[in-house]
Amino acid sequence: MNEPILSLKGVSQIYTKRSAKGWRRVPVRAVDGVDLDIREGETLAIVGESGSGKSTLAKLLLMLNRPTQGQIAYRGLELDKLNHEWRSQYRRQVQAVFQDPSSSLNPRMTVEETLRHVANRHSLVTKLNQRDFLAAQLAAVGLNPPEQYFSRYPHQLSGGQQQRIAIARAIMLRPRVIIADEPLSSLDVSVQAQILQLMSDLRATTNVGFVIISHDLGAMQSIADRSAVMYRGRVVEIGDAIYQSPAHPYTRLLLDARLLPNPRGTRVRSPPPKQAAPFASVETTQGCRFLHRCPHAIEICAAIDPQLRPLGLGATQVACHRAEELSAATTPV
Amino acid sequence: MTIPQSQQIGNVKHLVAVKNLKVHFQVTDRIVRAVDGVDFHVNPAECVGIVGESGSGKSTLVRAVSRLMPNLRVKELSGDVQFEGRDVLKMSEGDLRELRRSRGFSMIFQDPLGYLNPTHRVGRQIAEALSPHGNVQSDSQRVQSLLEEAGFQEPNNVARSFPHELSGGMRQRVMIAIALARDPKLLFADEPTTALDSTVQLQVLQTLYRLHKERNMAVVIITHDLGVVAELCDRVYVMQTGKVVETADSVDLFERPKHTYSARLVELSAHRSSFRGAQYE
Repeated sequence: MNEPILSLKGVSQIYTKRSAKGWRRVPVRAVDGVDLDIREGETLAIVGESGSGKSTLAKLLLMLNRPTQGQIAYRGLELDKLNHEWRSQYRRQVQAVFQDPSSSLNPRMTVEETLRHVANRHSLVTKLNQRDFLAAQLAAVGLNPPEQYFSRYPHQLSGGQQQRIAIARAIMLRPRVIIADEPLSSLDVSVQAQILQLMSDLRATTNVGFVIISHDLGAMQSIADRSAVMYRGRVVEIGDAIYQSPAHPYTRLLLDARLLPNPRGTRVRSPPPKQAAPFASVETTQGCRFLHRCPHAIEICAAIDPQLRPLGLGATQVACHRAEELSAATTPV
Repeated sequence: MTIPQSQQIGNVKHLVAVKNLKVHFQVTDRIVRAVDGVDFHVNPAECVGIVGESGSGKSTLVRAVSRLMPNLRVKELSGDVQFEGRDVLKMSEGDLRELRRSRGFSMIFQDPLGYLNPTHRVGRQIAEALSPHGNVQSDSQRVQSLLEEAGFQEPNNVARSFPHELSGGMRQRVMIAIALARDPKLLFADEPTTALDSTVQLQVLQTLYRLHKERNMAVVIITHDLGVVAELCDRVYVMQTGKVVETADSVDLFERPKHTYSARLVELSAHRSSFRGAQYE
């Protein structure tokens, strides 16, 4: 359970883009030196704002992109050096579920064809038993009775059903890890709850691990064993209790921005006075990347880029110089 | 403005009063009852939420009320929609334009990029909303003050930008500035923050709430997020399959939901934040 199945060491993905005014090429560090271990059978949530590099990280894990720097290892073997056989096995064992199910399913293939395609490609089952096998896969993701869905096209299914098909397609290979990039954000709230339930059921029955990328902290809190918070290409905090006791000011900012289903709430109606970030106007290339938004920044933050380090005795790791004093300042009264 | 007696029906106290609104679409061989007999009203300076899942008819309702409904494929559009006692559905295009220009209603949408012209600078697009032949030079003062009101620190830089140079939250603020140009009494906001990050969502909602209070502007906000309703709205309509299944004060909805569907929505949103209630401080 605690063996890392995937581990990232100093992984960076650098894209180049044209500068805003002119033709100069500027590097964009979408993922910037990420160290991360993904353990077998765990559900790891990766949260952060758009542009923080979450989806790029997913692409790296799926071998859709090759990292510019650093190494990703699968059960201790570097992805770059996998031979043909191992790579094929990797592709089976690490599966993907994407945000928009309607665009990740082929609109001209029925559900049966979609699933059979994968089953044939990986020789999962003999021709004779194929239909029963596929029916079992649909039943496993809660589409009952399965026969009813075989001849349908994606446009004949609701968003939630499409996402279930996408999950069935991933789960039928018996993967060890499923990388899900924003699997919930195109779904209604009640359907989101069903898909979350399905994920935790599948985890219980097959011990598959999930890496779920999301910007919805509430949903992640209910399903994740550990959560990693990303900000501008870096993991700034990772741990199993970041929602209860956030250590990084950015995590706190994200948590404070959530809307509570409490009609007596006051976040919108009378927002608390803004704490000004002392370094807001200073454009620096060194130092902490959260500097310009951080209300707690001091000189050291502008000088030295904080690295991810363990906080106290818990499992939490945080990249902030002042994590200890800040969490001490707001401990329960 | 004088209102002809013949058009004056029902309760003039409401800013908008909708009775038994039906919008049916013809989709190939069947009829979709997107809105099926909805009663709905908005009081002046009130913030009303409409919640429901996708397909429940909440957007169609608001589009029918604001006459942004394409005639294409509409099988039936019936009922009584009044804005300050005037029948909106029977209005001519000219009267409708007049209503929109003279402190009537405005609308903002989920995807601001789809509603901004990518080839024009933002300032020009706001000036266009101010007067039909508006240009940035003569209206620059008003463009600037609108952008400031929508929460921009440096309105001049923004006015000179193209939409693609702005972030999602900034684009939505530009949409808000355009919507405010004719000083509307009512703002329809169709999922205004769904495409935004949570931190930006909070800022945009705070801006909307501030404008709602400062301008005494009524706001109708469509959302599927009960959190938005809880934080912003005085009153809420819950829609399901084209019908309003519950209407209540937002406090009542959360504390004493009457309809099973509303109860389920409230329960789900509470469940998703089951640990959230207990704050970390």
